[in-house]
Amino acid sequence: MTPLARRTTAIALALGSTLAIGALSRAPYTADRAAHGVVRLAWRARGERVEECRRLTPEELERLPAHMRQEESCEGRVLPYRLQLSIDGARVVDELVQAAGARHDRPLYVYRELTLQPGAHAIAVVFAREGAIPPGEREASEGTPPRLALDTTVALLSRRVLLVTYDDDARRLVLRDGSP
Amino acid sequence: MAIVASAQRGTRRILARADAWMNRLYGWRFNPLYHSGALVVALLLVVLVTGIYLLFFYRIGAPFASVARITDQVWLGRWIRGLHRYASDAAVVAALVHALRLFAQGRSWGPRTLAWVSGLVLLFTVFICGWTGYVMVWDVQGEVLARAGARLLDVLPIFSEPISRTFVGERPIPGAFFFLNLFAHIAIPIGLGLVVWLHVSRVARPALLPSRKLMWGVIGLLVALSLFWPVAMGPPADLFRLPAPAPFDWFYAFWVPLARPLSTGFVWAVTLAVAAATLLAPLWTRPARAARPPASWVDERLCTGCEQCYQDCPYDAIEMVERTENVKAGASATVARVDAGACVSCGICAGSCAPMGVGPPGRTGRDQLSRVQAFVAARRPGAKDVVIVGCDRGAGGIAAGESFHGALVYPVSCAGSLHTSVIEYLLRAGAGGVLVVSCPARDCWNREGPKWLEQRVYHKREAELRERVDRRRVRLAHAAVGETGGVVAELEAFRALLAELEAAPREAEFDVVRECDTAPEEAAR
Repeated sequence: MTPLARRTTAIALALGSTLAIGALSRAPYTADRAAHGVVRLAWRARGERVEECRRLTPEELERLPAHMRQEESCEGRVLPYRLQLSIDGARVVDELVQAAGARHDRPLYVYRELTLQPGAHAIAVVFAREGAIPPGEREASEGTPPRLALDTTVALLSRRVLLVTYDDDARRLVLRDGSP
Repeated sequence: MAIVASAQRGTRRILARADAWMNRLYGWRFNPLYHSGALVVALLLVVLVTGIYLLFFYRIGAPFASVARITDQVWLGRWIRGLHRYASDAAVVAALVHALRLFAQGRSWGPRTLAWVSGLVLLFTVFICGWTGYVMVWDVQGEVLARAGARLLDVLPIFSEPISRTFVGERPIPGAFFFLNLFAHIAIPIGLGLVVWLHVSRVARPALLPSRKLMWGVIGLLVALSLFWPVAMGPPADLFRLPAPAPFDWFYAFWVPLARPLSTGFVWAVTLAVAAATLLAPLWTRPARAARPPASWVDERLCTGCEQCYQDCPYDAIEMVERTENVKAGASATVARVDAGACVSCGICAGSCAPMGVGPPGRTGRDQLSRVQAFVAARRPGAKDVVIVGCDRGAGGIAAGESFHGALVYPVSCAGSLHTSVIEYLLRAGAGGVLVVSCPARDCWNREGPKWLEQRVYHKREAELRERVDRRRVRLAHAAVGETGGVVAELEAFRALLAELEAAPREAEFDVVRECDTAPEEAAR
């Protein structure tokens, strides 16, 4: 290889490598190529917290340090909800939504995405509490209502997302499509 | 483990060809493959400096708009943003090349474990840093990266609220999210500094930057790329539309198309398996116990306390301690001691010790003299012969043979561990000349072998080649394992020079023991 050829190759390789970095830094990609639309169910609900209490036996109290001896021990949890979604009359989701957290004492979170062909669709969502509030406990007024429902017909556009969410102020499920 | 060894051999073969080719084009001093680790540091510094500029213009309240405004600054913002991005990309490439080299060369176990593991941590944090950087822009790529990352993180039971909920469109994305993201993007590089320190903490005199010409050449190319092919903005993120086609940076987003169709559990399983396999490389790349080279040791009877081995050790594995044994009149107050846990058995100390009192067992200066004596007895080099002292790991790959183009080949484990007495011995035994072929300096598996060798031969660094040795009959050369042609050229040039000299003198008798035993007194003088 002559010095000129070597120098030319060296420059070409340096430029080529640099251009390769530029090209790989901007290669086009479409994360989702489909023409479908998406129905997204996403909300956070505080749910109804219930507590189950029992009195500790004298032996159990004796085992505890003196400053921790409380006669009653309570464990709280948030009641689960059942989520049902029907599209065009067909049930596509039917599942129990447990409250988050290891003890199910955190809020309930719903996050589901379903793909649909663009066009008009009848959507029916029901989010209903399962289980009863123990006798003697009152339902918290600020909690999520025991039953939420949305029954409507939507026009879903291609590659658009329709959001079903819970409006905390109106205390009902609402539809959003990103328009202001 | 046979698979690992086979993978290492295969990778070494590929690298040997690439090295030889790059050396031809750029010369070994500027071969970017040799400087891959230092290039990472240089590129991260570029990212740091450009990032500080960008920080002044970024607004967490309007992420996309503020980045678009930076990109619209034709004179400064656009190319600085481009340089920030391209330097981050090039850093990933350099880091991967660096890791591949060390894996192939088997430099990932024993005392080098800390460097290997911290290097992987560095690479991982660079990826996380890049991820947060792209989310900052909040274009389609940022949204896709954020959602894909949130999907994976939501599996971990450590968040009180699923992160994915941030991106469902239920409410505007809170400024706190972009603040946290920005904080992570800035805080992670600060942590990187600490990991870099850990990464090089077990080596002496770490070369943190590449040669200036190479560094500025690479930066210049990236500046030119940012000027003539500036980075473009993708469409803004829109949570109510499916992600539009957008330019993606494949150095940081390569995992998105791989992970999207798979379950999060599977993605985590694969990620953890790959992480474990690479992090545990020190376990499965180390040789069997019997095949591991032993650490150096010091013969305190011979040690003069000169500190040369302590200064030359490339891994800071030698310390000077108070002499407790062999205390007698004239003995030094301190002696060298090798930390076996830090010693990689490179043998560089063997070449640094004039009295030949230190080195790995079987490779000390005395052992080398015994070996060269046997070599001379067997091969009987004559006045017209050139002896090539070739490094096992370089030297054009010729060290495996007994002769090369008519020259006798004397292999050594590392040219830097070669005691200069061996060169002297070969010449006094009648060899016409000694050509020492080491690895290129930046590719020495033991970091500083060629540098110390050159100083010992030409610059009176202990243990220097004695003045009485005719330097015209000694030649030093560098050649990577794939540069056989370079060795041929050096050999021919050396032979041409030797042909002009008078016949080499041959000494009749040698007493290796005498050579060794007179050394302590000479060193003391």
